[in-house]
Amino acid sequence: MKREVRFAEIAVVGGGPAGLCAALEAARAGARVVLLDRQDHLGGQLIKQTHRFFGSKSHRASQRGFKIAEALTREVASHPAVEVHTGATVFGFYEDGVLGVEQKGRVFYLKPARVIVATGAAERTLAFPNNDLPGIYGAGAVQTLVNVYGILPGRRVLMVGAGNIGVIVSYQLLQAGMEVAAIVEAAPVIGAYWVHAAKVRRAGVPIYTSHTIKEAYGKREVEGAVIWQLDGDGKPIPGTEKDLAVDTICLSVGLSPLIELLAQAGCRLAYVPELGGHVPLRDENLQTTVPGVYVAGDAAGVEEASAAMMEGALAGLHAAYSLGYGQQDYEARRAAIREQLEALRSGPVGEKIRRGLSKAIIQL
Amino acid sequence: MLPVDGIPTPEDIMAKMPPPERLARGPVVMVECFQQIPCDPCTHACPRQAILPMKDINEIPRVDYEKCNGCGQCISVCPGLALFVVDLTYSEEEALVKLPYEFLPLPAEGQVVAGLNRAGEEVCPARVVKVVATEKMDKTAVIWLAVPKNMAMEVRHLKVKPRGTTVICRCEDVTLEEIEHLIKVEGVRTLEEIKRLKRCGMGPCQGRTCLPLIAREIYRLCGTEPDSLAWPTYRPPVIPLKLGVLAGGGSDDAQA
Repeated sequence: MKREVRFAEIAVVGGGPAGLCAALEAARAGARVVLLDRQDHLGGQLIKQTHRFFGSKSHRASQRGFKIAEALTREVASHPAVEVHTGATVFGFYEDGVLGVEQKGRVFYLKPARVIVATGAAERTLAFPNNDLPGIYGAGAVQTLVNVYGILPGRRVLMVGAGNIGVIVSYQLLQAGMEVAAIVEAAPVIGAYWVHAAKVRRAGVPIYTSHTIKEAYGKREVEGAVIWQLDGDGKPIPGTEKDLAVDTICLSVGLSPLIELLAQAGCRLAYVPELGGHVPLRDENLQTTVPGVYVAGDAAGVEEASAAMMEGALAGLHAAYSLGYGQQDYEARRAAIREQLEALRSGPVGEKIRRGLSKAIIQL
Repeated sequence: MLPVDGIPTPEDIMAKMPPPERLARGPVVMVECFQQIPCDPCTHACPRQAILPMKDINEIPRVDYEKCNGCGQCISVCPGLALFVVDLTYSEEEALVKLPYEFLPLPAEGQVVAGLNRAGEEVCPARVVKVVATEKMDKTAVIWLAVPKNMAMEVRHLKVKPRGTTVICRCEDVTLEEIEHLIKVEGVRTLEEIKRLKRCGMGPCQGRTCLPLIAREIYRLCGTEPDSLAWPTYRPPVIPLKLGVLAGGGSDDAQA
């Protein structure tokens, strides 16, 4: 069967915060960009983030996530050098750097000179009895259901995991009119920023650290959950069970970088728990061990969206530069983005990310 | 403890307290930000630069309390909803707490809500003095709450009391809680007042359902016997009639 292959300068896979910023930065430097996203709209997970972002005021802090998505999408859509394909899933990375793309039931192939993989991350789940009952969701999925589609999954929810996503989604479920029975966290401390924890707590949501879910129960759907306490070694303590009548259980137990395409491309991967699992090794410019293949955002290591935007910009800038674009402003622009990224990561809450990056960033 | 259960300790709070002499002079910001996170919008929010600029966005905000006039413009800018304004000089008995609020429905000015502490426990009734929710604040409203003075450092959230499920007036959809509020808080004592405030008795049933129930509540809460209570005037028509029917227009499908 004859296959036509299109050529492109830079392909960006994924139109979330990292991909949008990568496309914009590369296009502004003068390169022509093809931006591919499997959803019908750009923005990735930003479109459901109704909370105000942290970060620097000069880089959209205090704006709500979905507003940032709207602004970036507008900028990308109005840039003549960016060709946007929505509903377009990159399903394979083939020899010679050819991307297979499915769009509305048709397949085409793309051979870009540079590829920026910004595919994001997937929600992890948890193994416990009856975890297949209807009513058990990933917290991110519920955030989409509630904030994008306006659908409540139930009336009363147990949130498993007190990281930023678990605590923020709990708050948004309260806003949507659900009752949050409790947030449980297996670790002895809350992972979320404390201001987030404080605001759900003063709204009346108990947070149980050193606790996890023992089991869910219910006949045809979730009718309740049993939680129990963990000892210093993370082992459950019998006799500490609490029974919570809930019809919804949200799992917010971490994200795994989506690195399938990078693995197919032949990028060297390393297992870095601080970054969420297997991630590609890369240099300071986000270029992987396969020349011309870049990674940015959660696919490079799970982090906040503000950092993903900066990584995307760095990757886009360098990809364009390596093709001969933006030679004059390159150093100044690169320094400015790196300074922003540095500021986001330099504090105590960035310690884990810094540790992870020290294992993932190499000299090429 | 914050990292364990989300509740700051009294020591945490003490460390964030504005100086007592500044508190004694009127409204002032209280920055309940306890952790170094990369975040700086508050430092750009103050028209008087009372929240000091940061060298590194991971710094914890610092305040020049002499510059702060307690306007509260910073409150809705904080992504962590960690900024509050406290005014201990509001009145003899009450203090004012200005806090961020992102839930619907917004409370109404004058409404009495439950004041919640940092653990989410109801600690006192709180009166809504003002609701500030401009376009620029992008859905983070600032609620001004009058609370008993000794609760000024306790109340940091509010709960709008649910409307209740016990319906007194079916025509106008008025609940028992609303009637109780009128009697207990607003000092209403007569059926006539309740009729004018809530339209009870002015709907299709013309008071057949609600007035006896309301009379009983007035008796229960104030001790006024129903026979000494002035009943609103009964005016025609006693059942709903179409104006066309009353005017002799010929339509005969009047519905009760």
